Amino acid sequence: MNWGTDMDNEKLDDDALDALFAAGKAQAPEATPAFLARLNADAAAAMPRPAPLAVPSGAPSLFTRFKGLFAASGLSGAAALGVWIGFVMPDLVPTVSPVSEDVAGLTMFLPGADLSMLSE
Amino acid sequence: MDQSNETGTPDEALLIAFANGDGAAGQALVARLGPMLFGYAARVLGDPAEAEDVVQDVMMKLWKLAPDWRQGEAKVSTWAYRVTVNLCTDRLRRRKTRGQVDLDTIAEPAADLKSAVEQMTEADRATALQDALDALPDRQRQAVVLRHIEGLSNPEIAGIMDIGVEAVESLTARGKRALKAALIGRKDELGYGHG
Repeated sequence: MNWGTDMDNEKLDDDALDALFAAGKAQAPEATPAFLARLNADAAAAMPRPAPLAVPSGAPSLFTRFKGLFAASGLSGAAALGVWIGFVMPDLVPTVSPVSEDVAGLTMFLPGADLSMLSE
Repeated sequence: MDQSNETGTPDEALLIAFANGDGAAGQALVARLGPMLFGYAARVLGDPAEAEDVVQDVMMKLWKLAPDWRQGEAKVSTWAYRVTVNLCTDRLRRRKTRGQVDLDTIAEPAADLKSAVEQMTEADRATALQDALDALPDRQRQAVVLRHIEGLSNPEIAGIMDIGVEAVESLTARGKRALKAALIGRKDELGYGHG
């Protein structure tokens, strides 16, 4: 019998091939669980990580947060204390030295300088 | 190619979720694409170990591409199939000797394929089919597997193989003819020659 030239037989061949395809689908090569686990591990390793936020990780201490304020208040306090002492206990504040004494002091620190004009 | 799983989430949405750090979305894509691509690659390459290598490469390419995936340009499954087809083609080309015969040159078979197939068990049929697929020229095998086993439409196959629909039709028609020739040519070897 020559099946290649007969239309009916050609149809039968197609049916036979379809039966093979159906068997092929039913017995498809299956990915093993180990392989799928490997794919999942790859995915986990390759997953883009969200960029970390710009906020520092630890909460700043109270001192860190207000250290500028502390510094400013310390300086202001010292200045205020000085003014208060000047008013309340003026004897403790040295009087303004005569120019000659200042010049003597300056001469001691700046021995090479010509300071004669200052003493006139 | 169904783009949605049981929960209706499209592949593309899963890929974008993965790109945004959703590990479960990546696992869902693995569950959906992994077996599908492996089945195709194993059929075409005839070697499960090589098929695993190919699918692993494809999925890694997908993960790397995920942050830059351009929505709406292509289906994820079509892209994955296309890369799989290309990687399989590369591997097939590297094989120096496959003992492949150009079955286009074989004359039409003069035998009773139907009665032969009817006598085979399903496992035997699947084995005979795989053996016959292995003997097909690469492009024919790829087109036949995509069309008749993976069940894709000709336009989908055209997109995957980067050829026209008519070329797909031609490849699958020649592939089927060659399959018949291969199966009938091996009927004695396979033990169903006296149907």
